[in-house]
Amino acid sequence: MARLSAGDREALGPLMERHQRRVYRIALAYLRDPDDALDAVQETFVKAFLNAARWDGSADAGPWLSRIAVNHAIDRYRRGKRRRATYSPIEEGDHDPHYAAEEPSPERRAISRNLGERIGTALRALPEKQRAVFALRHYDERSLEDIARLLDLPLGTVKSTLHRAILGLRERLAGLSS
Amino acid sequence: MLDHWRLRRRVALLAADALAGDDRSRVRAHVEACVRCRAEHDATSAVLDLLREDPLRPDVLRAELPVSLPVLLARVEEGIDRALAGPRVAAATPRGIGRWAALAAALAMGLALPSLLERTNAPDPAGDDPMPEVSAAALNRLERNVAREQTARYLNEAQDVLATVASSPRDCDEAERRVDVEAESRRSRQLLARRALLLDAHEGAVAGAQPVLDDVEQILREVASMEACVRFRDMERLQDEIERRQILMKVRLMQRELLG
Repeated sequence: MARLSAGDREALGPLMERHQRRVYRIALAYLRDPDDALDAVQETFVKAFLNAARWDGSADAGPWLSRIAVNHAIDRYRRGKRRRATYSPIEEGDHDPHYAAEEPSPERRAISRNLGERIGTALRALPEKQRAVFALRHYDERSLEDIARLLDLPLGTVKSTLHRAILGLRERLAGLSS
Repeated sequence: MLDHWRLRRRVALLAADALAGDDRSRVRAHVEACVRCRAEHDATSAVLDLLREDPLRPDVLRAELPVSLPVLLARVEEGIDRALAGPRVAAATPRGIGRWAALAAALAMGLALPSLLERTNAPDPAGDDPMPEVSAAALNRLERNVAREQTARYLNEAQDVLATVASSPRDCDEAERRVDVEAESRRSRQLLARRALLLDAHEGAVAGAQPVLDDVEQILREVASMEACVRFRDMERLQDEIERRQILMKVRLMQRELLG
């Protein structure tokens, strides 16, 4: 990070190698679209390079990058709200050949796609903060303390926000789980 | 029974495996003893199980980027070059300031609308104004929409504070049974200042929301006047008040109504 703040681009490679998956996971969990998530990863590292001097010097740059990623994902979602693209992880012709042998049946794919759409719609209907907290907990499996640090919120607020997010999802997905 | 309401609000967190230590044991024991809470827990667990079936989840956990590191690195370097070459006004604007600037702009718009309205209705002295005419009705609609959006945003932020107060403020002195409401108290003061601005700018435009706004204001005032480390029984009294008057539900419904 010290090299990065001095403008040394060579330092970008090792930093990205170490943290790219963490940043991508956060972005994908929030945005639910691989292309948008990839763009958010790119923007996160651009911003990290441009603002490296602002890094507080703590030993691990991971939390700092994660926070940039969360903010970027939220901003990006706001900008792209009108598109309302729905993530469908098993589109036609989009399969990794490694998984060809395990390819699900058309019925299973349709059910899975429908479920993904319903969940995506329910998540998008949540207020931003609830969505961010829920995504970090459910998809990225972060601890509540970690989420509080990342979003700069008191732990109690994270708990109440998660509680409300779960109740909101329960309300919106009523009927599917029974 | 004394702790039922407090523990009940943590049942969803237990179902989400988000509690630890004594907290977890207390809520679990309560769920086992309380039929309603057990039903609540089971229903929440069923939804969380469903959410675990989300086809996106394995992809998130696997976190395999669709491009290789060298490709991503090249894209990042391109992005840096673009940022360094072009104006960076938007990127350099902190989110907080941006948000306040947007609010200020929206408020200014709301405040300016009445005078705009007068100008639109006044006869044009030159008689050949090339500007397209905007009807008074359209401006009224715009003003009303601005007022509704701002009120909904205000209620959303107030809801965060009330939900924290109503559920689980942190202990600041466990032995004395005191909880930490410093952040909520500060936030309440800020929101009350915002409320005053909203009233000045849009008096009458969101008349239907007035009863809910009054309820929220009353609770915010109580939170704002609390000391940072408040006795739990004082907090409990406030929690009961929020519950009894169903303020959180009213806020949620009013937000939906305001945003159409």
